[in-house]
Formats: sequence, structure tokens, C-alpha cells
Amino acid sequence: MTVPPVQETETAPQRILTQVQLEKIAPTRDERLFLVLSIFIGVLSGLLVVSFRVAIEWIKILTLGSAPHAGQFRLLFVPAIAGLIVAALVQLAFPAARGSGVNQTKAALYIYNGFISFKTVIGKFITSALAIGSGHSLGPEDPSLQIGAGVASIVARRLNLSRQRLRLFAPIGAAAGLAAAFNAPISAILFVIEEVIGRWSAAVLGSVVLSAISSVVVARWFWGSEPIFRIPTVTLRDPRELIAYAVLGIVGGFAALVFSKALGYLRPRLRAMPKWTQYCQSGVAGLLVGMIGFFGFPQVMGPGYEVIDQAMHGQFAWKLLLVLALLKILATTLSFSSGTPGGMFAPTLFIGAMLGASVGSFEKLFFPHLTGTVGSYALVGMGVLFAGFLRAPLTSVFMVLEVSGNYSIILPVILANMIAYLLSRGLQPVPIFEVFTHQDGLALPSMEEVREESELHLEDALIPVQVPIVKGSQSIANAGEIVAATQAKAFLVSLWDGSWYAMTTGELMSFSATLTPETPIEQALPPERLPILFPDLPLDSALPYFPRWPLLPIMNRATKGTIEGIVTLEDVLQRYHKI
Amino acid sequence: MSVLQLRSALTPEERQQKQKLIIRDSLALLSLFAIVVVLFFITLFLFHSFSVHRQELAQRWRTRGEGALRAGKPMAAIDALRSALAYAPDDENLQIELAEALAAAGRTQEAVAYFNTLLDSRPGSGMINLQLARLAAKQGEEAAALEYYETALDGTWEGDGYIRRREVRLELAQYLIERKRYDQARNQLLIAAGNAPDDAGLEITMAALLEKAQDPGNALHLYKKAIQHRPVRIDALLGAGRTTYALGRYLPAKDFLERALNHPDFEKEPADLQLQYRDMLSDADHILLLYPGPDLNVRDRAERILANRNTAQDRLTSCLSTKTVIPPELQALNNQWQQIPATLRRLQLEQDPELEQKIMQLVYQTEEVTSQQCGTPTGNDALLLKIAKAPEAVEQR
Repeated sequence: MTVPPVQETETAPQRILTQVQLEKIAPTRDERLFLVLSIFIGVLSGLLVVSFRVAIEWIKILTLGSAPHAGQFRLLFVPAIAGLIVAALVQLAFPAARGSGVNQTKAALYIYNGFISFKTVIGKFITSALAIGSGHSLGPEDPSLQIGAGVASIVARRLNLSRQRLRLFAPIGAAAGLAAAFNAPISAILFVIEEVIGRWSAAVLGSVVLSAISSVVVARWFWGSEPIFRIPTVTLRDPRELIAYAVLGIVGGFAALVFSKALGYLRPRLRAMPKWTQYCQSGVAGLLVGMIGFFGFPQVMGPGYEVIDQAMHGQFAWKLLLVLALLKILATTLSFSSGTPGGMFAPTLFIGAMLGASVGSFEKLFFPHLTGTVGSYALVGMGVLFAGFLRAPLTSVFMVLEVSGNYSIILPVILANMIAYLLSRGLQPVPIFEVFTHQDGLALPSMEEVREESELHLEDALIPVQVPIVKGSQSIANAGEIVAATQAKAFLVSLWDGSWYAMTTGELMSFSATLTPETPIEQALPPERLPILFPDLPLDSALPYFPRWPLLPIMNRATKGTIEGIVTLEDVLQRYHKI
Repeated sequence: MSVLQLRSALTPEERQQKQKLIIRDSLALLSLFAIVVVLFFITLFLFHSFSVHRQELAQRWRTRGEGALRAGKPMAAIDALRSALAYAPDDENLQIELAEALAAAGRTQEAVAYFNTLLDSRPGSGMINLQLARLAAKQGEEAAALEYYETALDGTWEGDGYIRRREVRLELAQYLIERKRYDQARNQLLIAAGNAPDDAGLEITMAALLEKAQDPGNALHLYKKAIQHRPVRIDALLGAGRTTYALGRYLPAKDFLERALNHPDFEKEPADLQLQYRDMLSDADHILLLYPGPDLNVRDRAERILANRNTAQDRLTSCLSTKTVIPPELQALNNQWQQIPATLRRLQLEQDPELEQKIMQLVYQTEEVTSQQCGTPTGNDALLLKIAKAPEAVEQR
């Protein structure tokens, strides 16, 4: 992705008013517009995503026919030709449309101040629809995420919002796009928080929720309120069934590893090939994927939602399900590594569903009294791969709950997802999106690391109160004696109103030089007081006060006026050095 | 208050700029709204055309699938129905048809898995349980098949539940007959017959099954009911003839078989069956000529008894001649015959009904014992043996 010319895109109001002027004449404008625009962004994203999905379906019917099946020659040449066209479009017209869209949105957020060009949105729409519709093994969710983020970026730029606000719009649009694609707002919000923003931020959460809800309302107006899959009855019949789900978690963890390794191996090698090969890599990938379809497994072509649905409803035997999962890993690795625009979500769900249904069918066959429905296993399998491959554990759990609309599946989901997540993490420490980031030469923050950062608190640098404490009513002379006896460089003054003051010996000496020794020390003090800090506050919250105060008392939250300890600049810095 | 303070802090030029900004923002939001409206209608148009096309495709593939299923091409039906389901995933009938196609194609495992999944979402569905019963029966899982049949009987059926339940019951009875569980089959059939409407075709079907379940008595009852309908069906007459014959009721058997043989449709029956029924009628005729029934006058009755005695004694003599060592049963029989006066006159018999009865008992006993000791009899011996099985039934209507 190239650095966008932000200045060139500035609109008319920007030429007239600077941000400083705007701040002065309309200080609450950004905040108000932010919420209103979140709704607009949600609606626009929802409409675009619906159009995007319809476009994919139309292209599929027009190119592959209404019922593609093995042995049709069009399965061979349609993805290949579409791959060549898409590659040419990406290379010549829409270079930013390459890839899934998740990392591009993160890059927009962290590097380009939320900038995603209109051209990128158009390019992503056209190239992804063409690639996915013609049978490349990719999904529409990640492109929808980027399209949503792009819409948000365009809308925000038109209204000349501040750079800080502009940056926040990318995740808002991303949530809207993903929510509409999934028809699952909670999962979309969580994914954006887990994978794009990296942490819960009150500044953006409200708008993310608003846009996601708006987009889902639009999507449901068209598609109906049903989830994207028809969910069969989901039950946990016997606690022993959890063993089967644990097995599914292990299988999913290993499958996620295989998938990650395959992508991590092939993608950089294809990218390192000469420039001219970039024009035909998608075509070759399309041909290979088409061959898989031609020789007996057309199910792996495209996003495969209907195949997931069929697997959930027990339409395949376990061996076929297993083969489909393995072939989907291969097909997606080929399609994605070749740089064809399209997402990883649908293939991940496909592989997970096939593995889950396979495990479920196998166990139903050999342990008929132990297992529940095949659909439950397929559903949990989707979450398992989501947790193991995309490494979004929270989203994976909520996605399954939201898609199934059934809380009773919570135990199997949590168990299987966590096993897959931990297994995948243990075997492949770097998450797949981060692998792609490194391969693309970017240095985006690792969301997994951000999530797991152990924040330091004041209690981590706290030391016992080793300095004298003087009452404000005591005289300067008295205070001087106490300080001299302890040889402390600073001491605390406790004032009548419960406030505190930290004084250095130098300050005390200057008071004793100008005032009489009997003067109560509180009369000598300037009006400022020590800040009230508590042990659970972040360690860096103390830093702004050290230029003024030699030490800071840390108060007990339960007992007002009780000091738990003190921190000095030296203590804080030492604590940071220990990390 | 703070807003007022802010307002008052603005210079006239800034206030003008603020107004312009408000107008610009309003226009921007309005244009955004206009874009949303335009995009909405474009999306609506696209979506509508796509939805209509999906419905067309679903119908097209469904028609193909059903056609292939009817034509006995289950593999083609599977492909077509799967395609139809991709465009109409919630169509329950399509789902069941696909599972049926899977079963018909011999992909039993897939079909079972599919039906099981369907059953999970609709556990009380009679149709799904019936399909699972058929698959279980096909796989030789008798217990599971019976359980699914029972659940199907208690399950829910759309619209014609009453008729479908009866059909399931008859299918279950047929399955039980195949498994030689005649008592259970008979119970199912009697329940079905008890609730069935007065329909000749149905009565004949159930009667035929009852015959197979070795219950000719109840079968005859249903055949008789079917015969009440006009025009009388040939299969009802044949069934009634067959069952009365099997019950040893040769007098009504003769009537039914005569009516059947005179029925215009009899000639349409297969030749071997025609021959079989003619033989049956002939046997019934002969049996009635041999049988010393109570309705005969004393003279004719005595003559028949004397003739039957001669037949039985000849059979015993012939049987004894084949044995080097006489079995005790035959010896006992022979001793009994010795106690009967060797030269019996018709008049003697006419005057001694007890003797008549004693001789006929001995005749029947002789035919039964000799058939066990010396093989299947022929001619009048065979006919007497038939009478021996239920002598009191011969002329029972």
C-alpha cells in the first residue's frame, strides 16, 4: 500500500477553515457528527455489502452455472481466466485491493491516519467479487470489512473531521462491513476490537456498535433475520460428549497449524517471484482450484456457504468431509497466496465446519449414543478454526453463539475453541495476520500482544513510607528538627482538610529563611496540593507529576486519608527497567 | 451558560464562518442521505432480480430432480436436488426428497446421516421416521426399524395424517410378515382394519396381508366385506375362495370360487393362477361329494360313509404292506378297524348314527396317520385328509 496523499484529498471546507479554527468555532461538531456518521456509515456499508454479495452470486451463476459439478470444463477455465483479469486489475489499477482486507484496514488505522481511497473500495468490490464469484477459494467477509472501512474513510474525509477522528472511522466502517457480511453484529464488533483496534476503547466503542447495528439492520432487511447458515438443533446431550468436542479442538488446532504453515510458506515465495509472474499467479491458482473442482470436488470452489450448510445438515459422510477440509486448505492457500483479492473468513469457517462435521459424523457412526447432532459439531468446528487460525478467541466463541442463537452450546464451544487456540498458539507463536504483515514489510502492532500486555500499575513501584510525615499545624522549626533527625531529602505534610503536600528540604530551608520558626507550616505552603493517586492506577499516570513533586503518596481506596506507600521518579523508572 | 460564553467569544467573522459550516455540514449530510437513498434502490433492484432468479433456479432444479427420481436415476436426482436446495435451503420437502434420492442411490450412510439431522430439527416428523425405518430395514437393523416405524405411526403428518398413518401401519405389517413376526403383524393389521373406511381396495389389501400373516379367518371377514361392494372385484372373490378353502370351509369356498371363475376378469389372471383356482374348485366339489354332511338324507349319508371307509381301509392296507415292521400307530389303527364289523350294510349304518360317527372318526384318523407314516396321499385320500383337518367346518357358511 502506498502512502496516500492526504492533503490532495482535502475538501472545500478544509481550504477555508483549519482544524484550529474549527475547534474554536464549533468545538462539539466532531463529536456530534461522529455518532451521526456512524449510522450513515453503517447503512452505506450494509447496502454495499448486500450489493457485493449479490454481485458474487450473479457472477457465480453467470460464469460457473447454477449448479457447478465435477466434469464441467468451465470449472477449469473460468477461475483461470478470472484470475488473469483480476491480477491485471490489481497490478494495473487497484494495487491496494490485493489481499484479504484485514491488514489493509489495520494499516489504514495505524499508518495512514484512517485513509482508504475510493479507488481501493471500488477495486476491492470489483476484483473480490470477480475472484470469489468465479470460484477462487476465498470469502467475502474480509473484503466487506475493508469496503466498510473505505466507506467510513471517504465519508469522514468529506466532512473534514479531525485527524484523530478520521483515524477512528476505519474500525467503525470495518465493523459495519463485517457485521453486514456475517449478519452477526456482536461477532463483528468483537473481531474489530480483537483484531483491528486491539483493545477496548470507550472513544470508539459506541460508534462501532452503532454502525454495526445499522449495517445489520440493512442486511437483514434484504436477507432476512436468519443467520447465514440454517442452524440445526444444537444440544449437549451427555457431558461425556465434551470429550468428543475436545478431540475436535485438537483436530482443529492442528488443522489451523497446517493452514497457517501452508500460507506462511507459499505466500512469500510467490511474492518474491519476478514482477511479470504477478500477472499470471492468480490465473494459475484459479486453474489449480478449478482442477480440484473438475476432478470431483467443486464444493471447495468459492466461499462454500451452501456446502457448510449441507455439512451442518448431515449431507456428507465423514470421509468426504475430511477430504473437503484438506482440499479447501490447499485451494485457499493457492488462491490467497497468489494475491487474489478475497478473504480468509469463509474458507476458515468452511474448513472448520467440514472438520467438525467429520468428527461428529465419525463419532455418530461409531459411538451413536455419545454424540449430539452433526450440525453442533460443524458449528463448533467453525469456531474452533476461527480461534485456532485467525486467533480471535473471544470472537470465535461469540460468533458461534450468535450464529446458532443457542446458548446451550457454550460449553463445547469454549472447550474446543480454547484447546484449538492454545494448541495453535503453542505450535505457531506468530498469528497469521501478523505473519502476513511481516511478509508485506509492515510493522503493525500485534493484536495478540496488545491484548496480553501486562500493564504496570503504581502498586508495582510502591515502597513503604520512609519519609517523615509532618502535620500542617506544626511549626517550620519543628518540621526542620524532624527532617534533620531522619536526614530525609523530602517529607510529606498532612493538611487539615485531608490533602497532602510533598516538600523538599530545600523548600523547607527557603521557608525558614523568610518566615519565623514558629510559623505553622501550612501557612507557608503554596495553594497547590498533591494529586490523589491509588495503587491500581497505571504506572505512567504518576509521570506527569514528578517535575513538580519529589515524591507521590499512594492512597488507600477503602480508608480515606490512609497512605499505602509512596512512589518516586526513581522507583517508577527502576520498575520500567525491570521489564 | 458555557455555550453562551462561547458564542459571545466568537467574532462576527467567525460567527459567519460557523453558519457557513453548519450549512455545509447540513448539505453534506443531505447529500449523504441522497446517496443512501439512491444506493438503496440500486441494491433493491439488484437483490430483487437476484431473488427472482434464485426462485426460478430452485424450481428448475427441483423439477429435474423429481423427474430423475421418478425415472429411477437417483444419482442425477441427487445432483439436481442439491442444486435446488442451494437456492431454496429451507424447503423441507426438497430436503426429504434429497435424502430419499440418497437412499435410492444406495448411499445409505449419507441418507441416514441426512435423515438423522432432519430428525434432530423435527423429531416428531412421521415422514422422516418412516424414511429412517425403511433405511434401517434395508440395513437389517430390525429393532431400529421397528422403533422408527412406531415413532412414525405416532408422529406428525402434514394434511393427510390419517391416511399416511394407515399406510405406515400396513408397511410395518408387511415388514413384520417378512420377518415372520406374524402375531405382531396381525395386531397391526387388525388395528388398521378397525380404523379403515369401508373401501373395497383397502379391505382387499389388508385381507391379503392378513392371509400372509397366517390369519385367514380375519382375512375372510375383510374379503366378505369387499364382496359387498358393487361391482364385485375378482380379487375379493378369489381371496374369499382361497381363505374359505384354507379354513376347510369347502361349501362357501365352492360358491366363491364358482363366482370368481365366472367373473369376467378371471380370464385376465395369469394362466397358472387360473389353473390353481380351477383345481381348488374341483377339490372343493369333490370334497363336498365325499363329505357325509348332516344335510344329506340318511341313505346317501350311509353310502358316503361306506365309500369313505373303503377308501381309508385300502389306504391302511396299502400302507401296512410297505412296512416290514409295523409301527405302533399303524398297529393301533389296524386294531381299531378290526373292531368294526367287516361286513357292514347300509341299513346298519342308517340305524346307528353312533357307528357312523365312529367310522368317520376312524377314516379321518387313518388318513392322518397314514399321511405321516406313508407319505402324502393322492385322490380321495388326499381329499379326506383335508376334511379330517376340520370336519365340522366343511359346510360351515
